[in-house]
Amino acid sequence: MKMPRREFLRAGLLAAGGLTAGTVGADRLLGAGAKSSGPRAAATLALTADGELVVTPSAEYAALAQTSDEVRRGIPGRRWVMVFDLAACDGCGQCALACAKNHFIPTDREYLRIFKMQDSPDLAPYWFPRPCFHCDNPPCTRVCPVGATFKREDGIVLIDNERCIGCRFCMAACPYSVRVFNWSRPNDPPEAHTRGYSPEWGYPRRVGTVEKCDFCADMAREGKLPHCSSHCPMGAIWFGDENDDAVTNSAGKTVRLSKLLRDRAGFRYMEELGTKPRVFYLPAVNRQYPAPNEPGANHGNLPRGGETQSAQ
Amino acid sequence: MTQPIAGAAARPEASIVERDLLATLNPLGRAGHIWIASLVGVCLLALVAYIYQLASGLHVTAMRDYVSWGAYMTNFVFFIGISHAGTLISAILRITNAGWRRPITRMAEAITVLALMVGASMVVIDMGRPDRILYLLIHGRLQSPILWDLVSVTTYITGSFLYLYVAMIPDMPILARFARERGRSPRLVRLYEILSLGFRETPEHRRRLTRALGAMAVIIIPVAVSVHTVVSWVFGMTLRPGWHSTIFGPYFVIGAIFSGTAAIITAMAVFRRAYRLERYLLPEHFQRLATLLLALSLLYGYFTLSEYLTAWYGGFGSDSRLLALLAGSTAYGTSFWLWGVFGLFIPIGLLVMPSRRSLTAIVTASVLINIGMWIKRYLIIVPTLETPFIPAQAAGITPHYFPSLVECTITAGAFAAFLLLFTLFSRIFPILSVWETLEDADEAESKVAGERASRHSSLAPAGLTILLIAGALTSVVPWARASAQVQKPVPRIELTRSMVDSQDMLVAKVSANGRPVVHAVVEFSVTRTFGVMTLGQDTTRDDGTARVGFPVGLPGDARGELKFRVTIESPSDLIGPPVEVVLAGGAPRVAFIDNVPRALWSSRAPLPMVATIIFLLLCVWITYAFVVIQLIAMRRLKEHA
Repeated sequence: MKMPRREFLRAGLLAAGGLTAGTVGADRLLGAGAKSSGPRAAATLALTADGELVVTPSAEYAALAQTSDEVRRGIPGRRWVMVFDLAACDGCGQCALACAKNHFIPTDREYLRIFKMQDSPDLAPYWFPRPCFHCDNPPCTRVCPVGATFKREDGIVLIDNERCIGCRFCMAACPYSVRVFNWSRPNDPPEAHTRGYSPEWGYPRRVGTVEKCDFCADMAREGKLPHCSSHCPMGAIWFGDENDDAVTNSAGKTVRLSKLLRDRAGFRYMEELGTKPRVFYLPAVNRQYPAPNEPGANHGNLPRGGETQSAQ
Repeated sequence: MTQPIAGAAARPEASIVERDLLATLNPLGRAGHIWIASLVGVCLLALVAYIYQLASGLHVTAMRDYVSWGAYMTNFVFFIGISHAGTLISAILRITNAGWRRPITRMAEAITVLALMVGASMVVIDMGRPDRILYLLIHGRLQSPILWDLVSVTTYITGSFLYLYVAMIPDMPILARFARERGRSPRLVRLYEILSLGFRETPEHRRRLTRALGAMAVIIIPVAVSVHTVVSWVFGMTLRPGWHSTIFGPYFVIGAIFSGTAAIITAMAVFRRAYRLERYLLPEHFQRLATLLLALSLLYGYFTLSEYLTAWYGGFGSDSRLLALLAGSTAYGTSFWLWGVFGLFIPIGLLVMPSRRSLTAIVTASVLINIGMWIKRYLIIVPTLETPFIPAQAAGITPHYFPSLVECTITAGAFAAFLLLFTLFSRIFPILSVWETLEDADEAESKVAGERASRHSSLAPAGLTILLIAGALTSVVPWARASAQVQKPVPRIELTRSMVDSQDMLVAKVSANGRPVVHAVVEFSVTRTFGVMTLGQDTTRDDGTARVGFPVGLPGDARGELKFRVTIESPSDLIGPPVEVVLAGGAPRVAFIDNVPRALWSSRAPLPMVATIIFLLLCVWITYAFVVIQLIAMRRLKEHA
């Protein structure tokens, strides 16, 4: 049964017009359509790509429809987790650089931003790298009106740029200012177009949609560390599976997560917000490098610093 | 309750009332044409700006990643606020049957409908992907305050249209007659006739109308309150200083009624002068609204004090940073205090003495309040976004926002569109309710009280008893064979888990050429997802065994098995590739345990939430249906007649 697009749209409209129960019904209808193969799934996708892509109801698209459920569910049995060793981070910015390079991030934004923190004038400054925290209780995901941003069972919070309507409510809702927006038409390099789009890597970009750190969901699928972690010269970024109770760093060292957090007094940023981040920090005690304001320190001369970003 | 306006004795006759009020529909003069032309001009400019924005993306605005909402959201809150004018004035005054409402209701109801249309369009203009607007219906998540907004604003617009229309029905026959007499276009006459639903002054028609109006007047109040509450929750439901406030709902509702009332007074003053309605829009009307405005300005002042004083006194770090920006020596601080003076205190001063407030003073106060309330909404939205929890300054960024030219043009266009729609509305329908004004005159004459409109009233450790002998040695050392002449020893490693001195140990027995290897350094590790986790090193004893503590509680694979690696570190002639052994004793994998309230961020809304929202909506929409049934009944009456 082929459903012409216009009719499908109208069906959605009518259903939603019949109050909220209708909206839920339409969602279920669409979900069912995406799971079952065949021409119906192709019709569903014609809608997903609405307004931007040339819609070809091909087998390629149908395949995408079947994997989208997998993308939304995540890698079964995994609970990805990241640990930043603030005592080892010297603020060199290689993580952000590797992240930017591998995600083809334009110069006006960062997924992983390094802050020079000083909690009070009496306390020593320290570098504070901030990726997306992939909260277990994500405020961003709550407020999304269309389910474009979603929480996976493996803990990753992703964004479907083909569904995002660009209302930016998630940006307002994220207390860590993690989310960034495609304010202008994307200018992705040709390499960004080689493997098609998936929320697991987030490119090629879509104008008018929100994006952020994706914990390198595609790398995890291949059993590889995220780019930031693998490129840290200090081995300060640990990544692993909580279900494995182990994290690994760029030096190839694997340690027991629970022991690391216990022995080094790990914490999560702003625990009081109740967001339950999946990113932990180890306090900057017995630093292995000069503190930000000491001689020989990186004076915020990050390869990609926020300094280059202007408000306009 | 019914209080005829003083001086009603000097009220002109019905025919004169009709003539005067319908005179507003007379062809415009030159000034009128220039007014409309300039409004159309500004709207067209805004349209060009919007097309430019659509083509280039939101980059043409001054909004960036930190300040991601700006002028458009300000406009949205502003216009939704203005829309509360109609509800309060018209519905509340109608329910309480306050007679002085009569020349004001039409204007108020029109402001509601038009401001809602302009306000709702601002959200679409703010969207990065307006082409995906239907996703709100297809993929809509009821847990999102945006859906609440969508649902309540839709309900409100529908209700306001219905309310405005029902209250206009008795005017329609009058308008049809008037248009015919004046030789206006037959199409216009036909429009009035259709809209009249055949209404005539019969008791049955009256009864139906009164019922419909009464029901609408009652239901529109909770709908209006819900709308601005939900608008505030778009901010209030986030974890942001200055937004996450429990009083945001009522604060916004009061702010809305406050600015709405000021908008009505402003509109009254404009129409009064433009259409020469001095005889109907009396100073008395302004005075009564001024009293209401005074009460609302004091209330809004009180809410503002509660909001900021508690934040300042409590002094949470994030709140303090916000207040330093909002009320300190910054551009925002200047605006904030200017708002306080010009948008609140001066209006209060102008309104506080009933005997001394002139019409000019009341209108001045209203205009100041309207300008002030736009600025106040801007000050609620922007400074909060400039003070995130992780200071952007720590990354060398200073977030800053000031509307771009495109945003300014579109904002101007929004105001122009509102004024244009209002003007056009007043060209087709009388801006004062003819029938209600007439009713007022009747009451003044007969002192008979009119009918009352409303009576509506989430590891377990593996058992230590499990002692399993390891699987056979996995690796054959190829290089050892190649250099067999040197008689290089071929190490054999057996890995077991056993209790040594009542300690759970991982024991490796190293032998070469059938003899235990002594003093060899052995490293134990276990494979994990991204690498090999070292468990420890030990030196082989006389029996060739080395041991480390068993990693109790370490999660294994699906069968609870752990893949261990044993590597000989020294002596150098024994160094070879690691030996991998799979042993049981890993903690079983924990299934996904959802220990957080998933309901709010899952793809489907929790049932109680869906049920509550549907219940509330049904209450409203059934009332709407009731009103529509009254209208249909009215139309049938005509057919029988």
